[in-house]
Amino acid sequence: MTSLTAEGLKVTAPRARQHGWWRRNWVSLAFIAPGIIWLLAIVVYPTIATIRFSLYNESATKFVGLHNFASVFSTDTILTAFKNNVVWVLIFPFFVTFIGLMVAVLTERIRWATAFKAVIVMPIVFSTTASALVWRTIFDLDPHVGVVNAIEQTVSDWFSTPGAYPLNSAIGQTAVSLASFNATGAPGGLLVSKSAVQPGGTVMMGLTRISSATLQTLGAKTPVAPQTIAGGIAGLVWNDFSPSQTSNTTTIVSDEHGLPNLRLSLVNSTGSSVASTVTNSSGDFSFSHVAPGSYHVEVLASNFQTSFVGTFWLGSQSITPTSGLNQTAQSLLSVPLIDLAMIISYIWIWAGFAMVLIGAGLAALNREVLEAAEIDGATEWQTLRRVTIPMLAPVLTVVFVTMVINVLKVFDIILNMAPGSSQGPATTLALSIYNDGFTGGIHSGVASAIAVILFLLVVPVMFWNLRKIKGGSP
Amino acid sequence: MKEIITTKRGVMSRNLFGRAKASRKALIAAVALTTVASMSIILSNGPALAASSKKIGGSVSIWAEWTSTEQQDFKAVLQPFEDSTGITVHYTGKGSNMDTALDAAVAGGSPPAVALVPDPGTLDTLAAKHAIKPLASILGTETKNYGTAWSNLATYKKKLYGVWFKAANKNTVYYNPAVFKAAGISSTPTSWSQLLTDETTIANGGTYAPVSLCTDIGWPVADLFQNLFVKLNGATAYDNLAAHKTKWSSSAVTNTFAEMAQLTGVSGANLLGGMKGALADGSWPNCTTSVFPASGSPTAAMVFEADFLTSNVPSNYTPGNGSSCTLSATASPCYDTFNFPAPTGSAFGADIQGSGDVAMLLTSTRQSKALIKYLASPSAAAIWANLGGFVSPNKKVSLNSYPDSVSKADAKALTSAKAFVFSLDDLQVGWEPALWADMLNVLQNPSTSNVTTVEALMDTQAKAALGH
Repeated sequence: MTSLTAEGLKVTAPRARQHGWWRRNWVSLAFIAPGIIWLLAIVVYPTIATIRFSLYNESATKFVGLHNFASVFSTDTILTAFKNNVVWVLIFPFFVTFIGLMVAVLTERIRWATAFKAVIVMPIVFSTTASALVWRTIFDLDPHVGVVNAIEQTVSDWFSTPGAYPLNSAIGQTAVSLASFNATGAPGGLLVSKSAVQPGGTVMMGLTRISSATLQTLGAKTPVAPQTIAGGIAGLVWNDFSPSQTSNTTTIVSDEHGLPNLRLSLVNSTGSSVASTVTNSSGDFSFSHVAPGSYHVEVLASNFQTSFVGTFWLGSQSITPTSGLNQTAQSLLSVPLIDLAMIISYIWIWAGFAMVLIGAGLAALNREVLEAAEIDGATEWQTLRRVTIPMLAPVLTVVFVTMVINVLKVFDIILNMAPGSSQGPATTLALSIYNDGFTGGIHSGVASAIAVILFLLVVPVMFWNLRKIKGGSP
Repeated sequence: MKEIITTKRGVMSRNLFGRAKASRKALIAAVALTTVASMSIILSNGPALAASSKKIGGSVSIWAEWTSTEQQDFKAVLQPFEDSTGITVHYTGKGSNMDTALDAAVAGGSPPAVALVPDPGTLDTLAAKHAIKPLASILGTETKNYGTAWSNLATYKKKLYGVWFKAANKNTVYYNPAVFKAAGISSTPTSWSQLLTDETTIANGGTYAPVSLCTDIGWPVADLFQNLFVKLNGATAYDNLAAHKTKWSSSAVTNTFAEMAQLTGVSGANLLGGMKGALADGSWPNCTTSVFPASGSPTAAMVFEADFLTSNVPSNYTPGNGSSCTLSATASPCYDTFNFPAPTGSAFGADIQGSGDVAMLLTSTRQSKALIKYLASPSAAAIWANLGGFVSPNKKVSLNSYPDSVSKADAKALTSAKAFVFSLDDLQVGWEPALWADMLNVLQNPSTSNVTTVEALMDTQAKAALGH
């Protein structure tokens, strides 16, 4: 009514109206003033200053027009950030809303629902930094640390059992790289003695790069030079590495070790295996009653079967094929694996929030409609798809859009979850603002330009959401 | 800039993973209190303060990046100055925000009287804006405390504007002597080829990886590249590359990348955990703990980085004392360092790269002039040298000021350097993070075709950022 009166007064006597308006509202104004000044100082002024910075050079001394915006769109590292933001927006809001919905619907029909909900909601209470560090550990490359790789390892070991001397495929080790004395590589990843041997003779083969932990586990003993046996072939396979004589690769040294548990095969001159054996704890072996002829000793490939090497979940390798593309195309098209790992973690954090909002919407649903569906013989699934979800649509949209805004600004999980080498490939706009503006020198111009772009992206979604929450139509 | 991030990350991960570690420095700090007390007596008679010993009074503000332990150490440096001049020094440690904060303060018109920044680029920028004062007349004879290489780094248009107070020698390889011993290596490598041979020896031993490579967001790889480049091509070529007078696509760069690939081995064969492992666990300072673990056995023999690495060495380690070093984390483990070796026959073996903190005068008052003169004096630097974790480029600082053999060797290499070049990446204003990413790219794929592609990209990036 006041405003109506004021409007009326305005037409007839503006001055009088102003006077009256001030008199009527000065108390309210006095109360609002600190808030308004505060908002002007910490929201309005910084916004305007940022827009101004985005049009100036790095030291904010010279007007450069849209130059900063041009460099934003021509810098590969920033294009990577745009790409990652798109990946986040495409995947995260949908899945978090979907999972939130599922959990909300399911918790409606279990006992201890409150306790269950409390557990799901808990991650929102934790600091994102803490959650990110937990998930960083979960996805760790080392199967002894990261539970995801530990599971992968268990499954992988069912299908291929590692040998007694597993090669380290992480550093590209092959059987040949272990050969040191009288040993050479052969097709199929096995090692074969270089020199031929006749019955009554001996063979010595030296390998290196065997870790002391492996030797200890297998109970390796000091190697003993093989003794000839009549009509048979005796030999030794030993770890040809001595800390006291590092350059000696031809003879046995007292601080070296025999290689136990090696599976060997005796092959004749036509290449077929005639006998097999296993080395003892000092690395010695023997084949007795060997027919006359020329033989070689093979160290079977199964000895070197590699152990599992973890999946680099937090790495930058792309899950979309991008090889052969130029740098800019790669920035725009590659989806690093770490994006998925981080999105999974972030869903874990935010699913509870989605569940709470959707749960509240569910509780407010008209029960009669649901009961009617049940009476009409609709299945649970049909009820969910054709009744519950359409009726929940407004709530689902709010959750979805809130999550879109949320991930447009995603920042802390990347900073804390990505290892250094993945920080660049996993960066987003918000992280780019921080890195360009505040670390490694000051690039206030470019950082402000990104901030302005991000602002322009968020604002329409935000207004739409505000209207939605207020109950207005978009 | 680099060490700031470094320090920050170091502190961060240490706290979060709960590796509660009483810093070695903290231990020394206790001893230091007594040292400082005795120092101040010496200082009050010292030449640096002779002129100002008539108690000037008043106060002066000073900013630097140092926080926590380093802040305490720096305050110990300031204490004798305050005592003898009666000037109150207000120190603010700005951490990684030092550049940003100073930039804002200068723009806002209320800068500190004295500020220390970690890069010569800022000095040039501020000198160009006339925001800092020339120092030659204020410092007088103290200017002679610094070698030409250092004076040049603090000079803008033929005028001296800065005092290099703290330096970091990046020309170092830190190693675990017990691991070297277990692998049968009795002396540290002095040539590039010997380093490669030693790597093979360690790999043949099978128990330890030769190198734990720090990768982080790429800056440690850039440091490695810089070491190699200056050793192969010398300081002049290095400065030309830093200024982009030499192209990244030049053969000097290509050769350096080839040497780097030799060092890491085919698909990271010489690296702990291979290439994947180096990328996954190479975040600073995780990469140092595999060589110097607080508990358990080390898994790698050496790590390439500057002296700031020692602040991440667990407190139970002692600076290299040869024969008594053990592999056990509980029974006298040690750390030691050797100079990054040059290729045999290289004329640039004594050219080293590193970084440092330069002090600048922003407001000229009696107090601030006295303070900057004090910072240029050997007695000021000697105090921090004694506390550890500090190397001074001031050649008048006695090597006996350093508390252990490792920092003494570090300081000796720094002051006796034939040429000193500043960490190149810190001079690449505008594209430093891109340079780091490019370094990681080449590290992962050192094939000729990829090196050519990345070098062309780097030339484009450098041109866009530096304007030529």
